[in-house]
Amino acid sequence: MAQRDVEAFERLMLPHLDDAYGLACHLLGNEHDAQDVVQDAVLRALRYFDGYGEGDPRAWLLAIVRNCCHSWHRQHRADRLSVSYSDAADSPNLHRTPEADTHAIQSSERAAIGRAVAELPAEFREVIVLREIQEMSYKEISTVVGVPIGTVMSRLARARKRLTVSLGLSVREAS
Amino acid sequence: MRCDECRDLLGADADGELMPEESNAIREHLASCSQCTAEHDAMRELSRRLKDGLDRPRAPDVLKARIRSSLARPTLPGASAPAPRAWRTSVLAAGVMIAALSATASYAVARRGTFEPSVGEQVLSSHIRSLMPGHLTDVASNDLHNVKPWFNGRVDLSPNVPRLDSLGYPLVGGRLDYVSGRSVAAVVYTRRQHVINVFSWPIDRGDASAASMSTEHGYHLAHWRAGGAEYWVASDVSEPDLRRFVELFERAGGTTDPK
Repeated sequence: MAQRDVEAFERLMLPHLDDAYGLACHLLGNEHDAQDVVQDAVLRALRYFDGYGEGDPRAWLLAIVRNCCHSWHRQHRADRLSVSYSDAADSPNLHRTPEADTHAIQSSERAAIGRAVAELPAEFREVIVLREIQEMSYKEISTVVGVPIGTVMSRLARARKRLTVSLGLSVREAS
Repeated sequence: MRCDECRDLLGADADGELMPEESNAIREHLASCSQCTAEHDAMRELSRRLKDGLDRPRAPDVLKARIRSSLARPTLPGASAPAPRAWRTSVLAAGVMIAALSATASYAVARRGTFEPSVGEQVLSSHIRSLMPGHLTDVASNDLHNVKPWFNGRVDLSPNVPRLDSLGYPLVGGRLDYVSGRSVAAVVYTRRQHVINVFSWPIDRGDASAASMSTEHGYHLAHWRAGGAEYWVASDVSEPDLRRFVELFERAGGTTDPK
């Protein structure tokens, strides 16, 4: 690949490494595997860069990261995507602000939220992460996940219904 | 609008994904339906909690350095991506990185027609090299009374090592580095998972300048002169975090003691 293409790739894609890593952490359940998968995904993205075109670079990169996370799981585990991120959320010193650590209540709330999201099935968890953390539009999410916008909307609605129940916010039990 | 229709659309409404007429229909329905209003409030509360409470991990410096070094490797036709764990052959990775940096340096030479990459480029290279496994610190300690004396006799100034732990920037150690043709002190702090390198070396006492920031290859650099020393700071923490670090460092630092 020409040096010029590598430079274009770096300029477009590298600003989104934090988002790529955040998505991988939530999909894989731990930071260690997330690092390996993100590195692999970025190298794949470079190889497929010819096919990038003109779209939103973040959604394009995150789609590859997401696919790599799913194949990683197919290779390493037969079951659905892991839920162990909740353990990570309980451990100290992992990307938590010191301010938060001084407030036990906040920190137990954070753990509860981390656990509730980690316990969602992968297809719900990914749309929640893309919407609530990455603040993507439904159109961008549909690019990343590879499903129609209507499906994004219904998955988000169902994911939120589950979360309002598991976090005790629900007015009524989810059907 | 019926209640079940309204509830199906509450999330999309909060996300700003509905047409204005749909949003208006929901507004009208909520005005007359306390159950759906309660559902609407629960949805907003959920969104607030997720935004405040969900972890937003940032890619560690080491991962970014690894990715940059693998992108810098010449991609041969048909070359396959390395196995995910291949990076642990860190010696190779470090070698590739240094080769890449030399390439960058040669490029800089060609571009400028000079033999020296700029000080900022050298600082950035040293910063990236320090992220390679085993290169970060020669003396690893979060106690300034261990780190500061370690530099005695190794560099020609006693570097500032302010205590910033309680402000969110713990000290992790120090090392000897090489910038602008001289040995310099590198004092290492962290911010969450990110490394902050503070390089310093002595200059004329009268020579002072306020901090200026720049960004190179996704890393932020800060540079200032004060108290008889030249300072360069390199990191990939967010720019506001680095600005704050520089302010705290300058405020807490006092003056250095050139020898």
